[in-house]
Amino acid sequence: MREQTEHERALAELIVEALNLEDVKPEEILPDDPLFGDGLGLDSIDALELALAISNTYSIQITAEDEGVQEAFATLGKLSEYIRENAD
Amino acid sequence: MPFNRLEATLELIGREFPGSYRLEASDDLFERLDGEPGEDDAPPEDIPLDQLCAIAFTSGSTGTPTHHEKFWRTLVVSTASSARLLDVPRDDTIHLVATIPSQHMWGLETAILFPMLENAAISDKAPFYPADIVSALAELPEPRGLVSSPVHLDALMRSGLEVPSLDRIYSATAPISPEQARKLEDHFSARLIEAFGCSETGIISSRETAREDLWLVSDSLRIEARNDDFIVTGDHLPEPVMLPDTIEMQGDHHFRWLGRHQDMVKIGGKRESLSDLNLQLAAIDGVDDGVIFMPDSGSRHPAALVVSRQLSARAVRRELGRHVDAVFLPRPIFIVDELPRQETGKIARKALLAAYSDLLRDSARKSQ
Repeated sequence: MREQTEHERALAELIVEALNLEDVKPEEILPDDPLFGDGLGLDSIDALELALAISNTYSIQITAEDEGVQEAFATLGKLSEYIRENAD
Repeated sequence: MPFNRLEATLELIGREFPGSYRLEASDDLFERLDGEPGEDDAPPEDIPLDQLCAIAFTSGSTGTPTHHEKFWRTLVVSTASSARLLDVPRDDTIHLVATIPSQHMWGLETAILFPMLENAAISDKAPFYPADIVSALAELPEPRGLVSSPVHLDALMRSGLEVPSLDRIYSATAPISPEQARKLEDHFSARLIEAFGCSETGIISSRETAREDLWLVSDSLRIEARNDDFIVTGDHLPEPVMLPDTIEMQGDHHFRWLGRHQDMVKIGGKRESLSDLNLQLAAIDGVDDGVIFMPDSGSRHPAALVVSRQLSARAVRRELGRHVDAVFLPRPIFIVDELPRQETGKIARKALLAAYSDLLRDSARKSQ
């Protein structure tokens, strides 16, 4: 598994903070591990909370109409890529 | 209406209830859960009152789902009462957007039955993120209504997005505080009406939380106290239903909600018993001992202390996630050497909470 990039690390910190993941350390979220389901076990309320945190931090409105969003929420790596492509 | 959408749950329902269908609006999926070929007859235009229309599943304390059959008679009567409780306009069609899934009773009653039986129309969008809710509302003419939950409403408010004018906001699945209700009403300039109910009965009561403390009971239901329990009956209900909540009746038509029964957890509109969660935890290979509990009634997730020589917190969460809906997955999970059990083997809540807060403090210190 590859290491987190700097952007991924900052995003992992945002995830841990926004979702109060007390038993997860930002460096433990591997870029290719699933965030939902089998991975961190996040649920739909987390998705909502995470979308708000991303909007506030990176000025991106997350919408499910955008087909890239579902894919972006798959892993830390994909989410980081999505944010870098869509941020103002 | 499965109590969660895990494949294991759908397989179980398919086996136990031959003839069930799997419907998914998003991809036009329509197939029989038991794998038999389906009938493609169009549904009859007049639905007989004794037609079985839906089965609502709630997760049972033994691991097998409990099921509640919904006949058309029940749904017709309860929808009319619910429309009065929620003050659905009579002379003007209200245009609704629902942010909650329609395989829940709350969604079925509002997003499906209101448009079928009452003066309401529903958007075919099932928006989730705040930006999606705004665009779904913008497509509708006035008067508009939003059918939602406390979590979605709070996220929409915090998003800071400009929301099209709303007439009514309907919320259920978890209680809203009077302060939050007033904030939401101010923010959206709309009337917020809260509904209270359960899968067994549908909507039982409503209140305008910003102005009312007591819940008004539906005109087709009665609530009676029996010992420490509260029983809901109605001529249209197949059988009396025991509330999984503690309430205090104020006259015949109003009550004050005091809380849920000790063993019940309700998160994201879903209900689960702690004993069932603990059975699932104990069944995991490699878990030597463990306990799942709610640190306090308002917690967003249960927490867990687990004794295991082989498994990490992450592995425990992954194993649990195969059988338990993600909203009930404990957070945090702490791997510990032993549980604070008394000599009798019982765990006192006070000792458990003390051990838990020590662990939280240690982990906060380590991460600094």
